[in-house]
Parts: sequence; structure tokens; C-alpha cells
Amino acid sequence: MASLVQPVRPNVATANIQLPGVESYEQVDREIAGTLVPTRGWFLLLGVSILLFLWGAGTWVYQIYWGLGNAGYNPPVMWGVYIITFVFWVGIGHAGTLISAILYLFRAGFRTTIYRCAEAMTVFAVMTAGLFPIIHIGRPWKFFWLVPYPNWRLIWPNFKSPLVWDVFAISTYLTVSATFLYVGLIPDLAVLRDRATNPFKKRLLAVMSLGWRNSEPEWRHFARMYLFLAAFSTPLVLSVHSVVSFDFAMALTPGWHATIFPPYFVAGAIFSGIGMVFTIIIPIRKFFRLQHIVTINHLDAAAKLALFTSMVVGCAYLIEFWVAWYSANEFEQAYFWNRVFGQWWWAAWIMLTCNMIFPLSLFSQKLRRNPTWLFILSILINIGMWYERFVIIVPSLSHEFEPWQWSGYLPSWVDVSILAGSFGWFFMWFLLFIKNLPVIAIAEVKEIVPPRLRSHQVPTGVDVAGHHLDYSPETPGERD
Amino acid sequence: MSQPPKTAVKRRDFLKVLGSTGAAATAVGCSQERVEQLIPYLVSPDHTVPGVSTNYATVCRECAAACGVIAEVRDGRAIKLEGNPDHPVNHGALCAKGQSALQGLYNPDRYRGPMIRQGDALAPATWEAALTLVRQRLDEARAANGGGGVRFVSQHENGSFGAFVDQWMSAGGFGAHVAYDPEADLAARAANQAEYGTPWPALDFSAARLIVSIGADFLDGWGASVAHQLSFADARAKLGDAPRFVYVGARRSLTGLNADEWLACRPGSELAIANALLAAVGGAGGGTIAEAAAASGVSEASLQRLADELRAATPSLVLGGVKTPDAHLVAQAAARINRAAGNVGVTIKPDAGLAGIGGAVGAQAMAALATEMNADAVRVLFVRGANPVHSVPKAALFAEGMAKVPFKVSFSSYPDETSELCDVVLPDHHGLESWGDSEPVRGTLGLQQPVMDPVFNTRSTGDVLLDLARSNGAMASRMPWATYRDFIMSRYPTGRGAFTEALAKGLGQGSSLARTVATPTLASTATAIAGDGEFFLVVHPSPALGAGAGANKPWLQELPDPVSKIAWQSWVEIHPSTAARLGIAPGDHVTVTTAAGSVTAPAYLYLGIQPETVAVALGQGHAAYGRYAQGIGVNAVDALGAAYDGGGALALSQAKAQVAKAAGHSRLVTVEGSARQHGRGIARALTAAQLAAGETGEAHHEFIGDASHEFLPGLRAPVANDAQGDMGSQGSNDKGMYAPDHWSGMASRRWAMTIDLARCTGCSACVTACYAENNIPTVGARWQGRSLRPFHTADGAGWDTTPGANILKGREMAWLRIERYFEGGEDGASDFETRFLPMLCQHCGNAPCESVCPVFATYHAPDGLNVQVYNRCVGTRYCSNGCPYKVRYFNWHGYGEVDRRQYAFPEPLHLQLNPDVTVRGKGVMEKCSFCVQRIRDAENVAKLENREVQPDEFTTACAQACPSRAITFGDAANEAWSVARQVDDPRAYHVFEELNTFTAVVYLQKVNHPAGGTR
Repeated sequence: MASLVQPVRPNVATANIQLPGVESYEQVDREIAGTLVPTRGWFLLLGVSILLFLWGAGTWVYQIYWGLGNAGYNPPVMWGVYIITFVFWVGIGHAGTLISAILYLFRAGFRTTIYRCAEAMTVFAVMTAGLFPIIHIGRPWKFFWLVPYPNWRLIWPNFKSPLVWDVFAISTYLTVSATFLYVGLIPDLAVLRDRATNPFKKRLLAVMSLGWRNSEPEWRHFARMYLFLAAFSTPLVLSVHSVVSFDFAMALTPGWHATIFPPYFVAGAIFSGIGMVFTIIIPIRKFFRLQHIVTINHLDAAAKLALFTSMVVGCAYLIEFWVAWYSANEFEQAYFWNRVFGQWWWAAWIMLTCNMIFPLSLFSQKLRRNPTWLFILSILINIGMWYERFVIIVPSLSHEFEPWQWSGYLPSWVDVSILAGSFGWFFMWFLLFIKNLPVIAIAEVKEIVPPRLRSHQVPTGVDVAGHHLDYSPETPGERD
Repeated sequence: MSQPPKTAVKRRDFLKVLGSTGAAATAVGCSQERVEQLIPYLVSPDHTVPGVSTNYATVCRECAAACGVIAEVRDGRAIKLEGNPDHPVNHGALCAKGQSALQGLYNPDRYRGPMIRQGDALAPATWEAALTLVRQRLDEARAANGGGGVRFVSQHENGSFGAFVDQWMSAGGFGAHVAYDPEADLAARAANQAEYGTPWPALDFSAARLIVSIGADFLDGWGASVAHQLSFADARAKLGDAPRFVYVGARRSLTGLNADEWLACRPGSELAIANALLAAVGGAGGGTIAEAAAASGVSEASLQRLADELRAATPSLVLGGVKTPDAHLVAQAAARINRAAGNVGVTIKPDAGLAGIGGAVGAQAMAALATEMNADAVRVLFVRGANPVHSVPKAALFAEGMAKVPFKVSFSSYPDETSELCDVVLPDHHGLESWGDSEPVRGTLGLQQPVMDPVFNTRSTGDVLLDLARSNGAMASRMPWATYRDFIMSRYPTGRGAFTEALAKGLGQGSSLARTVATPTLASTATAIAGDGEFFLVVHPSPALGAGAGANKPWLQELPDPVSKIAWQSWVEIHPSTAARLGIAPGDHVTVTTAAGSVTAPAYLYLGIQPETVAVALGQGHAAYGRYAQGIGVNAVDALGAAYDGGGALALSQAKAQVAKAAGHSRLVTVEGSARQHGRGIARALTAAQLAAGETGEAHHEFIGDASHEFLPGLRAPVANDAQGDMGSQGSNDKGMYAPDHWSGMASRRWAMTIDLARCTGCSACVTACYAENNIPTVGARWQGRSLRPFHTADGAGWDTTPGANILKGREMAWLRIERYFEGGEDGASDFETRFLPMLCQHCGNAPCESVCPVFATYHAPDGLNVQVYNRCVGTRYCSNGCPYKVRYFNWHGYGEVDRRQYAFPEPLHLQLNPDVTVRGKGVMEKCSFCVQRIRDAENVAKLENREVQPDEFTTACAQACPSRAITFGDAANEAWSVARQVDDPRAYHVFEELNTFTAVVYLQKVNHPAGGTR
């Protein structure tokens, strides 16, 4: 049988993820906790992020004082960069929950090393997204009127309005994903507590880890809680972005008024989120020198997910065109023609190439396993997905039923500043996160440290049952 | 003097703001609720009940027609002008210009008191000082040559004022008084005088079977437009029996766009066409069709068809109103056609007609005055109202002449180009603050009375002249009246008591006002259109701005030109095929050069201009005249030389021109998205033949599978019906106010509107009425643009100061807009049709905006209104996205906030604001409310009087103003209202009916009369 042992190139996402570069539990603790030491580059990035954020925040104050007219709105394009960016960030958030919750339930092992990063990304992305509806409205100081709070005048929000559903969807999502992130962190916080030397920090971590003692009952409760939250988060992945899609699908506007929107948006959200995960995790594994933990195989598997969602999204794009043709609805047809070959062809083609065409490169295993290409592609996907929302929002509103009111749209410096500020805000939180809390789940990585390392046994062959491929040190990608 | 408010953010301030964060953001935004004190009158002035309007009848002074107006005065401030329903000219309607008189009254750039020149600038002074100075200089002038060197230029005014000045001048032994009117069609008046014996006969369009207008823009400025429009709309309302209308001219004006057929001729060839038509109807002195075709470029077949039609259709109505040097001959030929065709007394009524317009002179007389001034023959010049420096061609050297006059006195209210050259300004009252009279039609007097106390420290020019006369014994004895009012009353035919009685109606009987002026003899020749160049230049008065007098009123600047739909800008109209040949794209700057000068403006590609012609509108290009007028566009007069028509008016189509693409490009400040409706059936029309055949409409796109509603009027409100019927709550019988038997009775009503496109001419008077009634901010002024970069300086750098910057961004606020769609003519050569469609909130019974608003800021009232609650609106703008009609408008800046740079009502314009309507703050949505304040007012009044609201008791501001009577408003649920009957018209349709919005606005299709139709 030994002669049958061949180096295996894993080409399916598997639960049997192995980390040959990891020698022991202690190494996991040391290497991951070691990433928490601030470096000069980190301070630099944090400074840039904070400056960007402050610039955006100052611009927002300016906008509140002088009016929304300083943004680029060109009626009837009444929604612009802010709503585009809102949907963009909500979408980003979805991959985190997909990876941390849904893939957990599906026992997809490749999620283990990237899920913490993705989950944190979710929380910060939703925090960012949640600001935009407020930035976007004309009287942001009255935004709480969208919240159903008891009041003397018995005035409630309009529960028919998708914007009110948004309030519920976003706040629920933020609460649940933040809870999920925190619960997952508890054992890791305990590790940090144990390694902390600063008494104040130790005390703080002790409180935050809820006095975790690594006992059997604690682990049992933890696993149950984690499973429960994963199950609880799973429908949110589908519901939140469906609700966001209702903001569009519930209006009469051509290009918006489509039943395909909820699945289309969810697929797009996951796709964009995976793009952002690549954008974040590839530099992290490089600069934190964690290539042996976040291995090429993990990236390969995630890239397949990106490829799959890209094709779902591409299919949705094509279905939209088909439905416009099949409906024989003149307004719809005129709108879609204008979208792709008319006024907005450039935006539509940015969207189509970045989201449909470039991701097809992931059919090549070579490219799937090339972190540089994945990083470049992820940037393209981020751009493409931002433009997807642009293409949904702006061309629809600019080319509606009434030809007399057809218009154009060009963002202003205020839009761009606030968009940049949102990246500053997001990365500020994310950078603070990666130097204060473990960006790789310590406890979960320890779970997949191969049993042979625990027992110091060398593997001898292939599993004859064929369910799992035994570890082979030559498996490509595991040590890259 | 016309600096925008200094509210720019300094760099330091911006950094301070930048430093604060979101918490501060919530604090700074909530500063709209200003604390003010309300102090009631201890002793109320007579006739003043706080919150209750008083109406005064008076006279509109915005053009020579002198329409009657009713000024609504609330708490001592005039807030709205409406036509006087009893007035023989305007019958209750009022054009945009007339309504904008209020913005002249409250113009922030008005002289606030007398001014005396000190060095290079005018400085404020007291009345005593200013009058003393004038007296002294008059005495000097009198001493020098007996006063012969004194001249008086006034803006011609229908009524006694001209005679008053004549008398004053002769009492003082002074020289001539010229009553200048730059917009009057003096050639037509002279021809009418010669042919009909009256300067302006009444025109009865509805009696005609064919209307031929040879360059006569009777709907936009040619004569009494409102009167013409009322009659023209009545003619069009005869639908299948309506007269066919053919327009002959080089440029399709608003009037031309209302024509069924346009014959695009070369400028200057109109006389040949008129002569050919004259021959066709058997008149003497006519020409041949072949000659006309050769001269005009119109095909012989078309002209022959028109000639045949004219011969066949009796009675007809032929109008000649071109602006070429031979305009008087064209008008004369038209008059002779009418005579030969037997139209005089049928469609042309010389015995009715406008009176009181005599004595006006044109630019030729001003040029003569300029010659005198340049010859140092004038020692003192008085100017009142007129602005010849702007409207007389440079070749006449008027400004240079003024510089040679030692002492110039202006009575102007505004700092216009002429008054800025004067030595003393004695600002006159505005027309709404003055006494006066007019004779709109023979035998009827219109009485003008002050409707409120003067806004500023001004004095009536009549009173000032009497004051000046008093210091001179000889003059005082010939000018015995204490006040100008005294003079007016003394001239009233039936005495002072009768005058006071008649004042309430604003109208009196009699005729005593005629100013004695010599009847000009009609010249039988004219100069030809001359000059080098491939193109003809056609200059035309702007429908809104006239020859320039309207340019300082933001409503008129903001009102899109009815033809080009451009605002706050000058443009050169050029035919698309010509533009393609010259490589000119829309917005490219084009220089039009004539022998007299040149103008450069962005190109507007217009199908309705003859391909060898370019056109530029008058009105803009002011070097002074206040913040709204200054520095916008070009003055087309700069390209005109001193050529005049037989009436002495400036010939506006006088020269050939070279047209060249210039450096630069400006986006056109247009409200037009697409000029084509892409077969969407928005503005629909039928031909007379289709109407006769019982067809209900033309083909247009519809959703497949959606049947039309069987209840075409569509006045059902599903929201209300839900509460009442199947879709209501099964668990409760309480439908609240949505139950028809609710004590409020609200749900038994359905407020609705019909708009008859057969009547609508696109004149846009309704748009201005809406601005006036509903406190809609104008957004196109220089200081209202958005920020272009983060750091501003106090002088406005960093802001977009392009005039109309907000409109370039599609941010105009017009709750009611006139869409102008073209049909046909895609090949650039064939004739095209124009459809005007007033578009406003459709008050859908099943409104897409209502369901999406997260805070119920827009909801459905039981009486069918789609209500917008400004105070509740948080500004998500979702409602606008849902709206298929795109009739919702957002306050992008603090247009209603005094502290903001973009404030739209600089003091004292805010005094015009309607107290019944909220001034919206920034960040909220607004839209047409169907004048809900008027609805509730009528309901409240009825309730106080313990009665029901009577059918057609009140109407909306747009319907009230409409000079075509195209808009009808009322309760569609009650058959007694006109609107309820009109919705049963077979022409009725809803825009985008297939979207199931159940709109409350019902359009009645236009009826076209193509050539060779059933007539």
C-alpha cells in the first residue's frame, strides 16, 4: 500500500486541513500572540486610517451644516455614493458570517484559520455600513425617527417601508455578529491573559475572558453556545442582504423592481465579502509571517468559493437582461440598454469584467494558489462590487419612466471624502483589532493541529476508506 | 452693492469644524427653529385683521397691455398677484412677468432711498438734499436756454402718466418727453393704424378657421399676450373644429411651437410670402408664389397649399409681426390680406382692441436723443423706468451721449445700466405702491392704487415732479395738484366720488386718457437685411425677461425659457444640421459676428430654426441691474446696428452674420432631460380626423398584460378604499377618517385636476404662480451653488458660482414644470410637432411614494391628497425614487435659512412669502400639495359660514393664473364640479396608467390639425 502514497494536490475544500508547519500548541500560542506587538508600519497605517476617518467625519459635519447639495446628487438620482457605499459595506459583512457560521455548520475545515479575520471584518463593515443611511439622509439629527420607540404622540415608523426593515436588519446583524465574534474570542482571551505580563492588562483580559479556566464543562458549554450562535447567524446571512435588496426591489423604478434581487444581492454580498477577506488576509499572513497557518490550501479553497459566487452573480446579471427582454416591458428594456450600451456603459463594463470575467481565472489552480494574483483579483472584486451597486442605483434612477427627467451623476469631493473616510473608519477599527486581539483563532487552530503531532507519530499511509487523505509532508501548499 | 451674503466658511473655521466629530454633527444641524416674538397690534390698522388677506384691485405695469390685477395683501404686505377677473384684457389670468412684479416690489437691489453721485459712485442722500440739487440744476438749465435743454425719457406706460409728464415739461418750458418702449411692436401698430385705424385691434382666434402668423409671436410678447392666449385657447378648445394654425418664420418661437405647421423661411423673405398670400386672396399689390419660394427657401408646393388653404378657409386670421426692417410692410400686407379675405370685423375687431398704448416710441427715438446729447444739446436728462443704455444699440452712442449731459436724474427703482450713469437717483415707488390709471380697451379705465406702504424710502415720481414744480411760480400754476393721485382723480371722467367707488373693482367707465401724439405715417420702403456672412441673425425678446426688464427677478430667471428650456443663461440657437457642418456640439461657445459687433454664447441645437439662421434672445447681459441680473449671459443688442423698422423700433432681424465656433464650452443650464418621449405616451395627441373617427389615442408603449382601468378617471383611491372595503381590516369596522360617513366628510371628496393639452400653450405662467403661492425657492443665483472644494474664502472662491449651477445638477425646485416634447423631425429637415405637458404631483390614489417613506412624512389624506409633512420628513429621498413622475424636490441647501449662503429670499424678498405655506428647511422633500392651504381655507370659510364648499368656489394657484384656462381643479367625486365633468371627456388619460398609480391628474389629449386634414 505504501507504494500508492502519492503527493496529493487537494482540489476540494476539505475538513481535513492540516498544518504541517505547526509543531505544537505552544508554537500556536507564541506565534499568534506574537502578532500583537505593535510595529512601526502598523502605527503608520493606523495613523493614515485615523486621518482618513477624521477627514471624512469633518466633511460630514461640513455637509450637515451646508446641506446635502454639496454631495454630487443630480436629481432624479437622489441616491448616490452613500447608499452605494452602504450596500457595499453591508455586503462585505456577509462573507464573515458565511465563513464563520455557515462554513462552521458545514464543517468546512478551511474556514478555521481565516474565520476570525472575516468575523471581525463583518462587525467593522456593518459598523461602517450602519453610518451611511444616517450620513445619507437630509436631516441626520432626526434619524431616530426610523426607530420604533414609544412616544407620547403615538407616532410610529411606517412598517411598510423597507428602510424601517433595514433598521431592524442592520441592528440585528450588528448585535449577533458582534456577539458571535466575542464568544469565539473567549478561549483566546484566556490565552492572552495567561501570557500577559502587564497586571492591568491581565486583569482586563481576565474579565473579558469571563474567567475561562479551560475546563471540560466550559468547553462543552462553549461549543454548544458557539454552535447555537452559528445556527442563529446563518439565516441572517440570507435575510439581511435580502432586506437591503428590498430597498430597491420594493420601488417601482426600472432596474430595481425585480424579484431576483434578494438572492442576487446575497450572492453578491458573499462574493464581495470574500474579495475583502482576500484583501485583508493575504497581507496579514505575509506581514505576520503566518503562511504556514493560513496556508495556500486555505486560500485555494476560499478562491473556489469566490469563483462559485462570482458565477452565481454573473448568472443573476444575465437573468436580469433576459427578464428585461422576456417581459416585453419597454421601460425595462430601455433601461438595460442604456445601462450596458448607453450612458453608463463604462460603469456596467467595470462591473461585468471585474465580477464576471476576471474571477473566471480562478478555474486555474495555478492562479488560485497564487496569493499575489488573489490579492490583485480581490481588489478588482472590491471595485467591481462597488460598481455593481453603482450600476444598480445610478443608471436606474437616471433613466426612469419620465424621459424629461433623465439625468447624469457625478460624485463631488464631499462624496469621495466620506467614502474615503469610511475606509479610514473601517481600517482604523480593524488595525486596532489585529494588534489587540488574535486575528487567527488560537483555540480553533489548536484543534486542527494534526493528532500525529500530539502523539509524535509519523503517518504511514493512505486511509483505505478513502474518506480522508492522510497527511503527507509533501502536500503542496502546506508549507508555502 | 450686489455682493452675495457673506457666509463662506473660512479655512480656520473649516478646520475647527473638521476637528469635531459626529456628536457635534447632531448639534449644528438643529438650528432652524428660530425663537421669535409675536406682538399683536394694540390698535389694529383699519381693514387689517392679522392672518386675513385684504385684496386690492390695481394695474399691472410689467408691459403695455396694463392687465388688471388683484393684489392679495396680508398684514400689510402684498404676497400674491392674480388677474382681475372683471378686467377686459386678462379676465383673471396673469402671465409670469405680471406675477413677478412682486419681486420687483421686494427686489433686494432696489434703491432704498435717494442717491447723489459722489465721485464715481452714487451715495445715499436725503430727499431734501437730492431735490434741492435737482431744483438748482433745473433753474440753471432754465437760465441757460429757457429750459430747452431738458429731456425726459420714460418707460412708456399705459395711462395718464405720459400726459402728466408732457404737461410738466411744457409747464417748465422744457424739451421733449419721449415714452420709450423697447418691447413694443411699433411697426405692427403703425401698420394697424394705417390699415384698421387703430393701433391694436382685438383678435378673435376662435372665430377663425385658419390662423396664419407671419412671425407674429402673439403668445409670447407680441401685443397683449394674455388676451391673445385666452382667445387662442378658446379656439383650440373647439377641438375638431378648431382653426388650423400655420406659422411662417425663421425661428419657431413659443407661438410657432403651438402651430400645426411651420414654414421655415429666411429672415427678410416674409414680405414676399405675405405678398404671395395677398395675391392668393385677391388683394392688390401682391406677389407670386414663385417669387416667395425663391426668396424664402420654402417649397413652392407648401406655399401654394397655404395659399389655397387661405383662400378656402374663411374667415381666417393673418398676423404679421416680424422684427425685420420691413416689419411694417409685412404687417401692412397681413392687414390687407385680412381685408381682402373679409376677416376685418370677424376675426379682427378694430373697434375693440387695446387703447392707451399710443405715444410709445422705439430705439430710433432714443438714437435721435443720443445724437442730441452727443451734440451737447441736452443739459438735464430725466430717466424714469426705461433702460436705454442696455436696450439701444451701441452704434447709437447713448451711453457716450449721457456722459456729455451735465446733469442726469433717474427715477428708476433699480440700479440699472442707465441709472448707474446718472447724477441723482430719486427712486420711484413701485407700481404696486403707486397711484395711476390706464385705458386697457377703449371706454374702460383700469385704476391703479397702492396696495401697501412703500417698502423703502421712495417717492412717487408724479409727486416729486409736482414738488419740483411748486418751487417755480409759473410751473406751479400749471401743475396745481397737491399729489399725483389728485391729478389722476381730476382726470377721471365721472368725478372724484365715482373714482373712489370704482377703485374697489379697479375698473371704471370712460375714456379721457389719450395722450395726444402724432400718428406716424407708414413708410412704404425699408432697408434690406444686409451684411456679410453666411447666416441670418435673429434676435428676439425673451418670453420671460422681455428686452431685459425681467432679468432682476429670480422667478423669471429661474423660469425655463418655454422654447429652449434654458434658464440663467444666454444661448445661440442653431440648427442641428448647421451645427454638424460647423462641428459645433451643444454647449460649445459660438461667436456670432455682424457688422455691428459680436456676441458669444453656448450653442443650443434647435430643430425649430431655419438652417441658414442663428437666433439669440434679448434680456440678459446686464452690466448692472442687481445681483440676479448682473453678469449673466450676453446682451444680443451688442450684435445689432442702428437699423429700425417703419415704426421706429429696433429691427431685431437686421443683419447677416458670421458664425464661428469659439474657444470654450459651457453646459447648457437646461431642465430638459430628453426632448423625446420615446413613445411612452406621456404627452398624447390626436389628429382632428382621429377624433372625428372616435379614436381614443395614438399608439404608445404599454406593459403587456396590463389592461386599462375600466374607471378611466382613475379617481379611486385604493388607500381610502382599503380602509372602506375588501382590503380593509376585517377585525374592525372603524375606518376612521377614511370612512365616507365620517363626520369630517373628508373621504367623500377626491380632489383632482384636469389639464387640457389642447388648450395648454406652454407659456409657463402656472409655474411662476406656483413659485409665488408656495414659497418655492429659486436656486440658480450665483451664490446658491454647491461647494467645489473644502476650503473657501470669504469672496466666494471654492463655491460653484456658475449661474444656474444647481439647475445644471437637476436641482430646480419647480413643483410644477412644463415638459416640452418634440415629435417627428428626427431627420432634421421635416416639420415637427411640439407637445407641452404641465407635470406636477399626480396625487396618486395608490402612491408609490407613500409606502416607502419610513416615517410617514408622506401619506394619503382621506380626501385624496398625497400629503407631504415637512416637519416629519427626515430626507431619505426614497419617495422620489419611487415616484414614476419625478415630481418630488429636495432641499439640497438651506434655501430657506437666513444664515446659509444659499438663502433664496434675501431681505426684503422674504416679505413676499405666503404665510399660509411653510418655508422648507434644508434636508426635506417637498412637492405640489394641490395648494392644500387653499383647500383648507375654502373648507374653513365654508364651515364658518355654515355651508358646504360650493362647486368651483376656489382653485389652485396654477389654474387661477393659467391664461389658457387649461387647468381645472376640484372635487372629482362631486358631479357639480367642472373637473368631475371634464374627466369624462373621451380624450382623458392618465400618464403611466399601467403602473396602477390611480392618479388624480387627468390629461386631455391635444388635438392636431395636420395639413390636408378633415377641415
